[in-house]
Amino acid sequence: MVTLALDGISKVYGDASDQVIALDNASLTLERGELLAVVGPSGSGKTTLLAIAGLLLRPTSGRVILNDREVGDLTDREMAELRLRYIGFVLQSSNLLPYLTARDQLLLVADLAGRRDRNAGNRADALLEELGLGSRKQHYPDTLSGGERQRVAIARALMNEPEVILADEPTANLDFQRGHEVVSMLAREVRSRNTAAIMVTHDERMLDLCDRIVRITDGRLAIDARQGAQEVTLSER
Amino acid sequence: MFLALRELRHSRLRYLMIALVITLVAWLVFLLSGLANGLATDNGAALKNMDADGLVYQADVRFYLHRSILPMSDVAAIRDVEGVKDATPLGHLTITTTPEGKTDKIDATVLAIDPDGFLAPHITSGQMFDPAASDQVVVNSTYKRYGVALGDVMLVEPSGTRLTVVGFTEKQTYNHLPVVFMSIPSWQGLKYAAPGSSGSIVDPISAVAVKGDGGIGDRIDAQVSAVEFASIQTAIQNLPGYSAEMGTVTTILVFLFVIAALVLAAFFYVITLQKTNQFGVLKALGARMPYLAWDLISQVVILTIIGVALGAGLSYLVASLIPADVPFALSNSLVVTYGVVLLVVSLLGTILSLVRIARIDALIAIGRVD
Repeated sequence: MVTLALDGISKVYGDASDQVIALDNASLTLERGELLAVVGPSGSGKTTLLAIAGLLLRPTSGRVILNDREVGDLTDREMAELRLRYIGFVLQSSNLLPYLTARDQLLLVADLAGRRDRNAGNRADALLEELGLGSRKQHYPDTLSGGERQRVAIARALMNEPEVILADEPTANLDFQRGHEVVSMLAREVRSRNTAAIMVTHDERMLDLCDRIVRITDGRLAIDARQGAQEVTLSER
Repeated sequence: MFLALRELRHSRLRYLMIALVITLVAWLVFLLSGLANGLATDNGAALKNMDADGLVYQADVRFYLHRSILPMSDVAAIRDVEGVKDATPLGHLTITTTPEGKTDKIDATVLAIDPDGFLAPHITSGQMFDPAASDQVVVNSTYKRYGVALGDVMLVEPSGTRLTVVGFTEKQTYNHLPVVFMSIPSWQGLKYAAPGSSGSIVDPISAVAVKGDGGIGDRIDAQVSAVEFASIQTAIQNLPGYSAEMGTVTTILVFLFVIAALVLAAFFYVITLQKTNQFGVLKALGARMPYLAWDLISQVVILTIIGVALGAGLSYLVASLIPADVPFALSNSLVVTYGVVLLVVSLLGTILSLVRIARIDALIAIGRVD
């Protein structure tokens, strides 16, 4: 079942005389239970793709469909509301608030949605346990390791039971082992919860954990068959 | 409030310092307002506490009581003016007194009155002076601090005129000096001792206190020659030094409020700039502006209330320790008023930060868009 679809998305920056085409007629569908990797060199348009998929940026042309609903003409306010309800973000290293404990990072999401109650507390505890952070609940980000921080970020992204998780270079500041651990946890959660995730990365070593790989070059998308990741995961199931 | 409280708790030192700044500013504001209030009372209490609607002075003396001289006959003339309910004479003189057998020199303001008129002060101990006994006076409680008691004799410098204290009153000061109440004839004997010193005026007084309706000022000025009416408020404003004192203190207060606003504005603006990326993340997560604005405002309100409360506490502490002869009077209504002004001023200081936060784009959370 398709949860997010980008249909013929283009994004052009600058005015007519000095145009930069960041995305050129890019189309993509994301299905439930799927972890999709977007790889490409810097400047290829992958961050723009993520921003548009995450409802942070409007495309110049093309349609974004989230849960069978086109989100083209929404106001900033409505986009924020959709982000809060349907999208989870796992961003680069510095995306936790320094003054919140691991548990409070999760409760913040519930508070933003106006639903910080006992259920939210239980859910936050369960998520942290699940990601191996049971003993780190009351720790502040500066006392957590890089891998732990990204696990907290994954738990936070799962807090609002999102349709789509968007991960922006989640392994950027981690060594291979920690990075691999974080991505495999993300893949595990995506599959067990039947949600979906797009991970933007430049780290080819993480691709074996992904179901599908999309390569992006100069704003154009190409489905990558070389890695054979799809077969691997299918056989695992 | 979720974020506000947690951030205050986590960055304790930083927010404690700004709360301390607010405390000191509030403390200074309250001390100054107490001083202003005390000075005003000290300077004009006798006028403020008069049960009169206005004073009639000699024309063109800029409402200076010490320059004004009127004939006693004006009292009757003023009483005849339509709308005037009552009028009573007032005499003024600044003297230096020395309690007999001591060397203390105590400056005082003599206010000469009719003991049966409406200017008669409230006697707290002893009795009202007898107008027939020219040496009897009622003095302000200030004299008790110099060891003066009922029945004591004071000498007026340099003439050596003897005054006997027969009663005490309170809250009667004029020009920062304690008031000595005496009869009009006794006062005339002091002020116009030298023959001809009152010029052509027979039976001189300084001014006439009047009670009446709102239109009496214009009618008195029109119907009685060479006089000028001033409401009690105008009379106080025109006390020598009064507007200079109040102007100085008011200027300092206004500067303090501006400084408080700027310090808070700069502090929160720098913190907001520092947190730009955090606001980006919050917005990406779906936080809307009212949520973020309320967060900042509640931090400012909490810090300001803590600062103002501590400042007020310290001010009341100082007020209780300050010696009685320092003109200092902290009033609860002033503390509340200036506390609210500080709160409003600190909220104004957040506008800059709020505008900044509103302009932050959630996009920065995912780094530079390529």
